[in-house]
Amino acid sequence: MTLEELEPKAREMIGRYEQPRAAALPLLWLVQDNLGHISSEAEFWIGKQLAMSVAHVRELVSFYTMFRMKPAGRRELRVCTSLPCQLRGARDVLARIETHFKIRPGETTPDGELTLSEVECLCACELAPMAQLDEHFIGPLDGDTLGLLLRGSRIPDPQPFLSTGGPVISSRFRYPDGAWFETYLADGGYQSAGKALLHMTPDQIIEQVSAANLRGLGGAGFPAGRKWSFVPKSSPKPRYLVVNADEGEPGTFKDRYILERDPHALLEGMLIAARAIGSHKAYVYIRGEYIRPARRFARAVEEAYANGWLGKNIQGSSFDLDVVIHRGAGAYICGEETALLTSLEGGKGFPRLKPPFPAISGLFQSPTIVNNVETLACLPFILRHGPERFAALGTLRQGGTRLFSVGGHVSRPGLYEAPAGVSLRELIYNHAQGIRNGQRLKAVIPGGISAKVLTAEEIDVAMDFDSLTAAGTMAGSAGVIVMDESTCMLEALLAASRFFAHESCGQCSPCREGTGWIHRIVRRIWAGKGKPQDLDHLLAIAGDMEGKTICVFADAAAWPVQSYITKFRSEFEEHVHTGRCPASREAVACRP
Amino acid sequence: MPALTIDGRRIDAPDGSTVIQAAEQAGIFIARYCYHPGLSIAGNCRICLVEVEKNPKLQIACNTPVMEGMVVHTNSGKAEDGRRAVLEFLLANHPLDCPVCDQSGECDLQNFYMNFGLYDPRFEEQKVKKKKAVAIGPHVMLDQERCILCSRCVRFTDEITKTGEFGIFNRGDKAELGLFPGQTLDNAYSANVIDICPVGALTEMDFRFKARVWYLSSAPSVCNGCAQGCNIDVHFVLNRPHLNDGARIMRLKPRYNPDVNQWWMCDEGRFGFGWIDRGRLTKVLHHGVQSAWDEAMAAIASSLPQLRLGVIASAQLTVEELFLIREVFHDAQITASVPEAPGSSDDFLIQADKNPNTLGAAWLGFAQRDIVHDALQGRIDALWVFGHDLAKLFGEETLQELSSKLRLFVYSGTNENPTSSSATWALPAAAYLEKEGTFVNCHGRIQRVRQAFPPLLDSREDWRLLLDLARQINRPRHYRNPQEIFLGLAATEVRFKNLNYEAIGTQGFPLHD
Repeated sequence: MTLEELEPKAREMIGRYEQPRAAALPLLWLVQDNLGHISSEAEFWIGKQLAMSVAHVRELVSFYTMFRMKPAGRRELRVCTSLPCQLRGARDVLARIETHFKIRPGETTPDGELTLSEVECLCACELAPMAQLDEHFIGPLDGDTLGLLLRGSRIPDPQPFLSTGGPVISSRFRYPDGAWFETYLADGGYQSAGKALLHMTPDQIIEQVSAANLRGLGGAGFPAGRKWSFVPKSSPKPRYLVVNADEGEPGTFKDRYILERDPHALLEGMLIAARAIGSHKAYVYIRGEYIRPARRFARAVEEAYANGWLGKNIQGSSFDLDVVIHRGAGAYICGEETALLTSLEGGKGFPRLKPPFPAISGLFQSPTIVNNVETLACLPFILRHGPERFAALGTLRQGGTRLFSVGGHVSRPGLYEAPAGVSLRELIYNHAQGIRNGQRLKAVIPGGISAKVLTAEEIDVAMDFDSLTAAGTMAGSAGVIVMDESTCMLEALLAASRFFAHESCGQCSPCREGTGWIHRIVRRIWAGKGKPQDLDHLLAIAGDMEGKTICVFADAAAWPVQSYITKFRSEFEEHVHTGRCPASREAVACRP
Repeated sequence: MPALTIDGRRIDAPDGSTVIQAAEQAGIFIARYCYHPGLSIAGNCRICLVEVEKNPKLQIACNTPVMEGMVVHTNSGKAEDGRRAVLEFLLANHPLDCPVCDQSGECDLQNFYMNFGLYDPRFEEQKVKKKKAVAIGPHVMLDQERCILCSRCVRFTDEITKTGEFGIFNRGDKAELGLFPGQTLDNAYSANVIDICPVGALTEMDFRFKARVWYLSSAPSVCNGCAQGCNIDVHFVLNRPHLNDGARIMRLKPRYNPDVNQWWMCDEGRFGFGWIDRGRLTKVLHHGVQSAWDEAMAAIASSLPQLRLGVIASAQLTVEELFLIREVFHDAQITASVPEAPGSSDDFLIQADKNPNTLGAAWLGFAQRDIVHDALQGRIDALWVFGHDLAKLFGEETLQELSSKLRLFVYSGTNENPTSSSATWALPAAAYLEKEGTFVNCHGRIQRVRQAFPPLLDSREDWRLLLDLARQINRPRHYRNPQEIFLGLAATEVRFKNLNYEAIGTQGFPLHD
């Protein structure tokens, strides 16, 4: 395959977008998928196709971690060492892999067979410790599975626990290979979309969704109906619906299951949302590592087009909707809605200054609504069963259920659909069957790694947005990371701070410099070289980062620092003063 | 027009303006790195954080639109603390190599630390290592470690030159400014990135290690490199001959003029000053032998009345000097135009006409005339050439022929060249930075050039020698300086009517056809 041979495909890709440059990531993927890596020559070629300078092409290649400038091995093994996997032994897994293949992350075996890399959260914490072998998520990599991996044998599909009983989202999760169009239709699917397109006005849809108390389930919890209402009713510009399927918050793995197992629920939700805001083009931004989810979702899109649920004049309603799937390339920050838009337009994932807000000027400077996958997947239920029923499932101000991703030291990591106001204790002890090996609970992060940690004494709290905010933390993406008493909180903070240092986009000075600074101090303490002033410095640096940047990433990076140190201060102090780890049973430094 | 309060002062700011603009308008300076009025808003450096009442978070002044009744504090404890925090982050990985950094003394990391920082540094970790002293083009050195990633230069090459050379690669604290490997920063305006770089990341190759900036004096002027007349500041040193081999000019910097060059100037103009300190004609020469002004002027004055004179003036001369030429030589054949090939040009600042005062000459009635041809044909027997090197324009042979045919051949110019050595009299003239006067640029804007420093050694301003000559040939003009000459011409020349130096000011004055 040569670059010239890719040109027809490139032109077709460029044609999908309003601006050529938006095809930058697709073209980079086109090159890497076909040529194995992105050479300088290919960077010039892409620059030429998109009328963009080669320096800006290089910016993208260097920003997104999945792009590579050098050829890789025939297979690629990406081992996750983010906190949820670390809690379940990822460090040892990586060490065993390194020893076995005699390579370090970033290296390829001499026979060119395998490239190893160490990556941040792949959002498959139910499989922890896990890795991605080419496109497949594999795990838990304990005992047998790791053995199979090392021997190069076929690894069976993992069978983690997940809810299949609904009521709102998970009922079709019972189909491991996905609920495809016929199944979905037989299950009452597309009735709500039909209602929205043929019998409801946009205002009526917005009213119902507002009455249902549907909150943004990506993590911010903003009322969905109200968000839609910000879109100008009359605008000469097109309006866009953008689906945030860039799931990346460590500890969270819900959207992946919707994409893989119930993709039509998302599509139906998109139809309803598009009708509500008057959008005729929707972009679905799926994180780059989600290869199988993206493929399955693409199949659902094809089915929907084939059955008249996408395209022109949908079901005779005279409403049109086209869907473009856009693949990310390895950058957590693109889950921030304005960074996602910048990325979608072919830039580095830099969050945008507000004002203007996306509802006024978003994608291609046009009114845009960005909604999370799960949020949209709730819409068919609301229109089908009425907003009252949805609202009644939740709390006073947050309707419905949520998909809770529960990982870490629980007996049964998995994805649990539960009422929005379920208590954290119930999630851990009833749903996830308590702490593994009969250990005692030490700490829980209730809403993805950005959320402040709760101690074992603080778990009698409802998991809805408002209750967790009142408890001094946040519901976020509902990624619950459970830590038992063997956990070293310094090591947990090391993982968290490494994550934020790795994922800071580098745009705003406080975040770019602060995340790296914090990580270096934590790593130094962890290496037994703590100084008495370190803990106060960490708290001060975290405080200095808060509220001073374009997006809330810097705040999210500060919260673990503040909450771990404040709530487990004596443990940190012991690390600093003795260089030893109090949590480790051997009472030596938690790491040599 | 919303009214807001900044630091207790009521300000009426234009609609659509931002807090940083409103403050600036009221003379309140808000610190900035990434903000530049000539570029799009990036909002990334965060140093311009201010407290806006009723807003729990500090806001960046560069992107906060003014609103009626808004109350802004730039110096509250909270705002000061925010600035201090941002500064500490910016300096965390900064190499602090000020002693060997050319930016020292005009560095906004230094300045703002002294103004808003003054904290005890807490950073005790290994700093991120990046590349230093990388020559990224003919004029610009890059130091990635000093860079604070404000992206001004990236926006300049994206938005102003549209050449896109710069990128910020990688992310987090590994983010670094650079060019695509193998590419160079060599667009016609490349050195502007040095001016807009708020720190020592982009420094000037030509100026590198030549002088500490606190030894520099500055004078406003106008570039003579083409008909655009970009406003400049001349940075020079007079009393430290050990610096820069005694050359006085250290560098030129663009001076903001919204109607001419905004914040910018081209590299050709910026680096085209070498002739002012090198290769100068510094003595009066008679047939190549050192003479003196008195001798020269007396000899020229006594022979002129018997001769048919042709004068080749120059669009490099000031309006005042051209006016005097016309007055003093009113019975001679005069032109200011010579057959020059047009130079390079673009649709931004660079004009094909490389003279700063072509329109001024035209407006004073200087017509096109082939005086060299007249001389070769024997229709004139004396020739006065201002500045031009005839060898370059007409060829060495023509110059020799002229030299042998003419009874009087006067050259007054700044630099030694074949014409100066072929002339009967070679008179050392002051360079444009050594005199006062005005130019009219190609858009009809009259602008002042200012004397940055006195004429070099024996050289004299052309206006001075013309006044001297006028006296000696009994056509005295009672002007004492360029300003009086200008008032004289403003009284008679309709295009310059009622104009004076004060009205022209530092930003020039638009005149129209």
